[in-house]
Amino acid sequence: MKLKTLLFAALFVALLTGRAVAQGLTVDIHGPGQRKVNMVMLPPRPLNQGAPPAMSKTFEELVQQNLRFMPFLNLMPASTVPGGDPSKGVTAEDINFRPLQLARIDLTMTTGWEGNRLEARVYETFSGRRVIGKAYGDLTDASLPDVADRFCSLLMEALTGKKGFFTSPIAFVRRVGSAKEIFTVLPQGRALTQVTSLGGFNLGPDWSKDGNLLVFTHLNEERHSLGLWNRKTGEVKLFREGLGNTVISPAFTPEGGVAVTLNKSGSADIYMLDSSFRPRGTIASSGFIDVSPAFDSTGRVMAFTSGRFGGPQIFVLNRDTNEVKRVTFEGNYNTSPSLSPDGRFVAFSRQTSNGHRIILTDLSSGQERQISFGPGNDEDPAFGPEGYYIAFTSNRSGQYRIYLTTRHGDEPILVPTGPGDATSPAWDTAAGSD
Amino acid sequence: MKTKGWILIVVCLVLALGAAGGCSKKRASTMPPGASGADANVRDHDWGSGKGSGYGEDGLTEEQRLARQREQAMSDLGQRIQFGFDSYELSQEARGILQHKADVMKATSGVRLVIEGHCDDRGTEEYNLALGERRARAAYEFLVLLGVSPERLSIVSFGEERPLVQGENETAWAQNRRDEFRAAY
Repeated sequence: MKLKTLLFAALFVALLTGRAVAQGLTVDIHGPGQRKVNMVMLPPRPLNQGAPPAMSKTFEELVQQNLRFMPFLNLMPASTVPGGDPSKGVTAEDINFRPLQLARIDLTMTTGWEGNRLEARVYETFSGRRVIGKAYGDLTDASLPDVADRFCSLLMEALTGKKGFFTSPIAFVRRVGSAKEIFTVLPQGRALTQVTSLGGFNLGPDWSKDGNLLVFTHLNEERHSLGLWNRKTGEVKLFREGLGNTVISPAFTPEGGVAVTLNKSGSADIYMLDSSFRPRGTIASSGFIDVSPAFDSTGRVMAFTSGRFGGPQIFVLNRDTNEVKRVTFEGNYNTSPSLSPDGRFVAFSRQTSNGHRIILTDLSSGQERQISFGPGNDEDPAFGPEGYYIAFTSNRSGQYRIYLTTRHGDEPILVPTGPGDATSPAWDTAAGSD
Repeated sequence: MKTKGWILIVVCLVLALGAAGGCSKKRASTMPPGASGADANVRDHDWGSGKGSGYGEDGLTEEQRLARQREQAMSDLGQRIQFGFDSYELSQEARGILQHKADVMKATSGVRLVIEGHCDDRGTEEYNLALGERRARAAYEFLVLLGVSPERLSIVSFGEERPLVQGENETAWAQNRRDEFRAAY
């Protein structure tokens, strides 16, 4: 009987271990805590004779810069490997994984070059399993950043199961002289593009679910209008008809509609617009201020800011039952909600005695967690497509800039956006809904 | 056409300010339509008194006098009102200023007023746009209540986009929480 139990237990353990090995190394970015994954990049090698080209160094640096955006990765210098470079080539059979295991390195990246052709691989040190293997031909200096982004996106996906981080643009507002215009940029600072040149103030951009359109508020001397930018054509249109003089915080619903704050009857209410951008009816209305609608990926949940009980607080509307639930009870000024694509979390900014801070509330438990710590003001959080990263604006450096943190409150990383205050980040979440 | 308009405005302003100084509305409205602005002004010194040196004194041409009167009208219509933090409630002082504007507006045809709502930068952008809107609307509704035709008024909120003064202190914030009024003919 005892032997039987022991055998059964041994079998169970073997099964568990086998399963773990088959699954490979993954990072649970949604888990309560995070384990750090140690990674090393081995020096670039020639695939045949000669030396790797000069661009091999550039590629290495680009990947290193990108990896900074993965707070769960700890990039270690190749010098930490005892005995030096443990490889003779770029594939598993040419790598001695033993010293890498001793140095507690979880992932090893190799790059092999033949002229302007690159083979890049990442191996799991403990199993020797190849996590990614990709080849890229006809590389030029100009195409290297894009290739680095694509490769790092694959690594992110392989480790976390989520894709889109390095390829999903963030729209934001940047000061240009006395005006404010809408720009887009990839989170690692590439592909910075000015999308409006309207003058006046262009504020509060928000992406359509497919990432092809941006809505925003255009403000001139006389009134507000609803702005629409088409990513494919580059065309910008302004809509005024039937909207009144006040058009604040437009947001796309996943089904393609637009929710926006208008004042049609004496108070600032959230309206739904029809396909020609005319008001169809209110979706949140209290007779006070209702503003900043934000949706999850299903569109059935809408978070918003309301001044219905005095100072601004965060509320959530269940669009199926029309039930409105107050989310925030602490603080007198809670604004700018962003819902995680899965609808579980709402991030918002709370005014504290030290300035605004980003707070994350788990809607299932009501538990709050502060995820930004200043100094200065941290405002306008926006979830990324994977529901893990959160972009926000902060004047911690003296000027408003866009930063990224994670839902765990990791050390913020600056998103390079060029000169001029950068505010109101909105992340294209299309990649997260594939 | 333009000069005619000016004369009419000046007449109306004099009437309005006379009314503010205790004159009844009835008396203002019975002013003969043909009365010239210059005559009316010479007879009614009190609205300009103490405001500028030499106002109404000899040596000023008719044009200069009209220009000054216009300046005064614009200054009266342009006077800002202030608000408390996260508030769009009109203070007693703001109500007094708006009352005066309403009188000027009612006595002056052809003038339109754009009411701009502004906020200090301590709040966040979108909520401040809505708050600025409520501030502009509070003034709008009060003016309409006092008999100003809504067609002559429009509102626009600038939120925190156009601070009057820079600075991170209560004096600066208080000055930035305001309605501005842009009069145009």
